[in-house]
Amino acid sequence: MPDPMPASSQKNISRTRAPGEDSQSEEHSRQLGRILFAAFAGLLFLLILGGLNALLSVRKLSGIEQEVNRRFVTHSQALSAIVISVHVYDDQMEQSLLRGQKTADSAKPFDPVTRSAEIHAALLSYPSDEEPDEQLLVQELLQVLTQQENAFAATSSWGPEDRDKRTHLFIGEQLIPQRMRFLQVSQEISLLNRKKLGEEKTALDVNFVNVQTRIQWMVILSLTAGILLSLVTGLYILRLERQGRLRYQALLRGREELEGLSARLLEVQEEERHSISRELHDEVGQTLGALLVDVGQLSKLVPPGDRAIHGQIDSIKSVAERAVKSIRDMALLLRPPMLDDLGLVPALEWQAREVSRRSETEVEIVSENVSEKLSDEIKVCIYRLVQEALNNASTHAAAKNVKVSVIQAAGEISVEVSDDGRGFEPERQRGMGILGMEERVKRLGGTLALQSTPGKGATVKAELPLPSAKSL
Amino acid sequence: MKKIRILLADDHQLMRKGLRLMLEQQPDLAVAGEAGDGREAVALAKSLKPDVVVMDIGMPNLNGIEAAQQITQSHPEIAVVMLSMHSDESYVLRVLKAGAKGYLLKDSAEADLIKAVHAVAGGKSFFSPAISKILLDDYVRKLKRSGSEDAYDLLTPREREILQLIAEGKSNKDVANLLNLSVYTVETHRSNIMEKLHLRGVPELILYAVRKGIIS
Repeated sequence: MPDPMPASSQKNISRTRAPGEDSQSEEHSRQLGRILFAAFAGLLFLLILGGLNALLSVRKLSGIEQEVNRRFVTHSQALSAIVISVHVYDDQMEQSLLRGQKTADSAKPFDPVTRSAEIHAALLSYPSDEEPDEQLLVQELLQVLTQQENAFAATSSWGPEDRDKRTHLFIGEQLIPQRMRFLQVSQEISLLNRKKLGEEKTALDVNFVNVQTRIQWMVILSLTAGILLSLVTGLYILRLERQGRLRYQALLRGREELEGLSARLLEVQEEERHSISRELHDEVGQTLGALLVDVGQLSKLVPPGDRAIHGQIDSIKSVAERAVKSIRDMALLLRPPMLDDLGLVPALEWQAREVSRRSETEVEIVSENVSEKLSDEIKVCIYRLVQEALNNASTHAAAKNVKVSVIQAAGEISVEVSDDGRGFEPERQRGMGILGMEERVKRLGGTLALQSTPGKGATVKAELPLPSAKSL
Repeated sequence: MKKIRILLADDHQLMRKGLRLMLEQQPDLAVAGEAGDGREAVALAKSLKPDVVVMDIGMPNLNGIEAAQQITQSHPEIAVVMLSMHSDESYVLRVLKAGAKGYLLKDSAEADLIKAVHAVAGGKSFFSPAISKILLDDYVRKLKRSGSEDAYDLLTPREREILQLIAEGKSNKDVANLLNLSVYTVETHRSNIMEKLHLRGVPELILYAVRKGIIS
């Protein structure tokens, strides 16, 4: 006989799990869930932060750029307003001087005060930022203007005869150079403005590059964190999956082992019963039988008149007979020789009559096409199944009638035991007997179906496949 | 007077010894041989040609039922008395189908063996008295529980007479001679009896007769 130890010790290993392990692993997985949640929240926060930062930076830069452009435009506009007003002033001054040479009355009189005020207003409206170079140049403009005004004021003192001579000289020596100077200064201011614009734009560009770099880093950081997180999550899921698969396999293996074990158990039980039964029947039973024969012989040798000895012999006989009967009952219960001596159906009929004799249950056996050459396994399975079902019907269900039908068809044999007893709830009430039936039927690759409603009897039906070689 | 020659078949030597002792006390009985299993019994029956074989059912190699079947098939003149522990009709019927003439319970072997051997040697059947009681009990209980009638009441007196004669082992021709009937009439009666009692074949008919106490 194979040593059953390996199987059982294996079982022990798979079963020795600390009782607290389940709650421990639950706590572990809850903690892991929290960590994952925090990591995802962190990643999301990082992404939102990066996006907001980029948005704000870009908005600020574009604000600065607008401001720079606006400043440049206002400065240019103010400057050109100054230049234009000075130009007008100079032109009118020149014309008024030339006109005064010929005719005193003219269509358009020169109004130096108004023009001068205009220029001053334009100069004052020039934006006064804290830019010393620019302010200096504006001051210079003012100086040139003052010189001009003073020079022109001097012309009023000229007599008519001087006027012709001095007008051209004044224009050539004073007005034109001053004008040139004015234009030059305004040119310088314009250049300065342009240069400033350039500087500010460069500063802006640097800023922009900074922002760009920051956004880049932010994106790289988020991306790395995201990849890391999904990697960790993926690995964890893979691990979980592998663990689940391993556990499932262990479960399957455990169940297989259990099934094998219980099948083996049935087999061993049947073998053991067989051998005990044979032992009881063959050895003890036959010896007692022989004893009975001898006692019979003995009683014939004793003279009929010796009542005392005859009484003793009768007593010995009845004791031996009781022993024979109880040993026979035991042997029959363990392994009915009918299965071997008579075949399946007569053995079932014997069983039916036994139940009928012992209880109030009447059993009817119906059989169709049942071969006499069924394998021992199938015979024993059906026999035990019917035995169990009849036992249930007569003792637990107190059935009045039970019908057992055994029908053999191509490739299978079906057994049905139906009673009119109390019934039971197949979903809930499953005793060891029913488990044993299921085990036996399953072992031979068959199916067992139980059908019952409380108060309406019960039906047990088993279908067993027959080896195809025999049915062919 | 010619002695009745007997073959004993039982796998237990003690049992054989006891049986032999019992049989040899009778002046007209002689034990011709002993067999330890079914196969040996078949072989010895063929070589010794005994009048009666007294055989146990449970034997190794070939059980008593199979052995009886082989012996009665090849030598119908040999009468087989089966020793059995079982008082169930499945066994009785199976043994009858195997061609045995006597069915003896081991419990009562000591009391009935001599009677049984004499009966079967004389061409009659023999069943332990306990058997017919058990068979009848089963039958009556079944009738009572199923509420059906005993079909025996349906038989006419003549049919009952014929039933007994057939169960005792008489052929249709013997019955016809005994009752002054034609063989054809006996055959008709016989099939009527079978139909009324729902019997299939002579073994079932004998079983029925034993059960009803018509023969013993």
